[in-house]
Amino acid sequence: MEPNGILIYGELNEDCGVSAVVTELLTKARELKEKIWNQRIMVCIIGPRINYENIITTLGDYGADEVIIINDDRLKQYDKKYFGEIFTQVAQKYPPRIILAGATNQGREIMPYTAIKLNTGLTADCTNLNIADNGLLLSTRPTFGGKLTADILCKTFPQMATVHQNTFKAEKTENHVNAIFDWIDIDKIENKSKIINIIKKNISSKDINTADIIVSGGLSACKDNGFTLIYELAQRLNAAVAGSRAAYEKGYIIKSQQIGQTGKTVAPKLYIAIGISGAAQHIAGIKNSGTIIAINKDKNAPIFKHADIGLVGDLFQIIPELIEELDKEEKDE
Amino acid sequence: MNITVFIKQVPDTDDVKWTENNNIDRTNMESILNPLDKQAIEAALNLKENNNAKVTAVSMGPSKAEAVLKEALAMGVDEAYLLCDSKFAGSDTNATSRVLASAITQKFPDTDLILFGQTAIDGETAQTSVSTAARLNYPYISNVNGLIEVNEDNCITAYSETETEKITTKTELPAVIAINNYCVKPRIPRISGYIKAKDYIVKSYNLYDLNISENTTGVKGSPTYVSKVFKNSEGRNCNFIETSNKDYTKTIKDRIEKIRKQ
Repeated sequence: MEPNGILIYGELNEDCGVSAVVTELLTKARELKEKIWNQRIMVCIIGPRINYENIITTLGDYGADEVIIINDDRLKQYDKKYFGEIFTQVAQKYPPRIILAGATNQGREIMPYTAIKLNTGLTADCTNLNIADNGLLLSTRPTFGGKLTADILCKTFPQMATVHQNTFKAEKTENHVNAIFDWIDIDKIENKSKIINIIKKNISSKDINTADIIVSGGLSACKDNGFTLIYELAQRLNAAVAGSRAAYEKGYIIKSQQIGQTGKTVAPKLYIAIGISGAAQHIAGIKNSGTIIAINKDKNAPIFKHADIGLVGDLFQIIPELIEELDKEEKDE
Repeated sequence: MNITVFIKQVPDTDDVKWTENNNIDRTNMESILNPLDKQAIEAALNLKENNNAKVTAVSMGPSKAEAVLKEALAMGVDEAYLLCDSKFAGSDTNATSRVLASAITQKFPDTDLILFGQTAIDGETAQTSVSTAARLNYPYISNVNGLIEVNEDNCITAYSETETEKITTKTELPAVIAINNYCVKPRIPRISGYIKAKDYIVKSYNLYDLNISENTTGVKGSPTYVSKVFKNSEGRNCNFIETSNKDYTKTIKDRIEKIRKQ
C-alpha cells in the first residue's frame, strides 16, 4: 500500500486524557497536511478499555481525521514492548508518509523501536517541522551540543520525528473525525521484561508546562542560598521554579524542572533566567517564551542575546531587591 | 557473565571553536569519552566486582577513537575492540545500530548484558541504545541509575528513574541497558591502569568482519541525511536596565504586571 497521511502517536496522560503534546502535534500536522495533497491525519491511541468518546472528540477538535484505537486492559500501564510492538503493527496496517510523536519518555522508547522495525529514519527532539520542496518532511533540530541547527530529511517511508511539548501551539479547528476500534493480538507479543515496582514521585512544585511565569536558576545560583531566593521570588510571582542542566546536575532541582534540549521545552508568558549563562541547549528550551528577563553578572553572557530585558549584576543583590519591591506592593493593596 | 559496553568518542561540545565562516572548527576540537558512557563503564565494573563478569568495551569510530578504549582499559575493562571502517562514516542512528548489533551477533555472541550511556553530548538523540535493542530483539531498560542486581534465574533487576517515577524492572538476559545519572561516580584510572592500557593492543573489526553489506551502512545505509546546517541565530534585542539605581525594581515590577495581564 502506498504510504498515505500523517500518523500521530496519541499518548494518554495518567488520567487517560489526551496529552497536550498530541494536540500541539495535530495543529502542526494540519499545516503539513496542506502541503502533502491533503492526505489524512491519523492518531493511534493505545490504552485500557474505557469510554473513548471525549478523547475522540478532542482529537477531532484539533484536526484528526481518523482515530485508531487499540484497547485492552493489559494496556493500562505503559509497557515499552507492548506499546512499541502495537504502534509498529498499526503503522504497518495503515502505512503513513509521516509519523509524529511527543519527545516524552514513551515517545523516546516507542519511536526508535518502530523506526528499526520499519527500517526507516527518525529525527529526535525537533524544534520545527515543514515540508521541503521535494515533498519530504523537513525536520529541524539542534545538533552538536546545541551549537548548530540542522535540517534533516529522510529518504525512506515513513519519515519519523519526535517533538518536545510546548514547541508548537495547539489551536482548535472544525473537523469531522472517524474512529476505528482495531485489534492486535497482544498474546503473540513476547515480553521478556516485567515492571515489578513503580513509585510515583511526589512533585510539589508548580508544573512548568502550564505556568504563566517561570523563575529559573543556573550554575551561579547553585551556591549559598541562591535557590532559596529563587523559590522566594517565585512564590511572590505565583511562578513555577525551573533550572538549567547544571542546576539539575548539582541537585537543586529535579528532572521534571530541568529546561533545555535534554529537559523540557517551555512557553510561559514570562521567563526569568537567573544566573543562567545561556548555553545553546538551554536556549532551545526557552525560545518560545513570551518575554525573557535575564539576570547575570557577566554582561557578555550569551543569555542576554536571547533576552528582552537584561539586568547585569549579582543575583544575591538583585533578587532580594526585587522581592522587597514586590512585598511593597502587597502592603499597598 | 559477559558484559559489552558500547562507548563513543565525542567532540567536547563545551569547548567549540568556530572558523571564520561560522563553521565548527572540527580539526582543533578536543575529543573526549562521552560522559554518560563513562558512567556505563562504571556500572559494568561494579557488576564485575560484585559478580563474576568479564567486561568488554567496544567503540565504533575512526582509528583515533582508540583513545577512548584505552581510557576504558585504564578504568578496568578486560578487553577493548574498535569497529572501524571508512564505509561506516556518516551513519545515522539506524545505520549505527546495525553495526553495533552485528558486532554482537558476529563477534560477541555470548554477551549477556549490553550497556550504553543513554545519550551522547554531540547528537543527543538517545536513540542508538534502544535501536540496537530493537534490532537484536533484546529487552531494553532506559534511565537506569541504580546498581544492577544479577538474579539466579538468568535475569537482572534494574532501577531506573524518570521525571515522574522510580521504576524497578526485572528482565531476562540477554538485555540492553542505558545508563543515566548513575549512582556511583565514574572512577578515575590509576597509573597502573594507564600502564596496562598502554601496552594493550586494541583489535579492530571492519565491514567484512561484521558481515555487513556496503549498501546498508554509512551514508548509503542511513535513512536520514542532513540537508543543511547553520549556526543558531541570536534571538532577541535585549533592553538593558541599569541596576545601580534602585528605581529599576519598580520598572521590572510594572513590566511583570503588564505581562501578567496579557
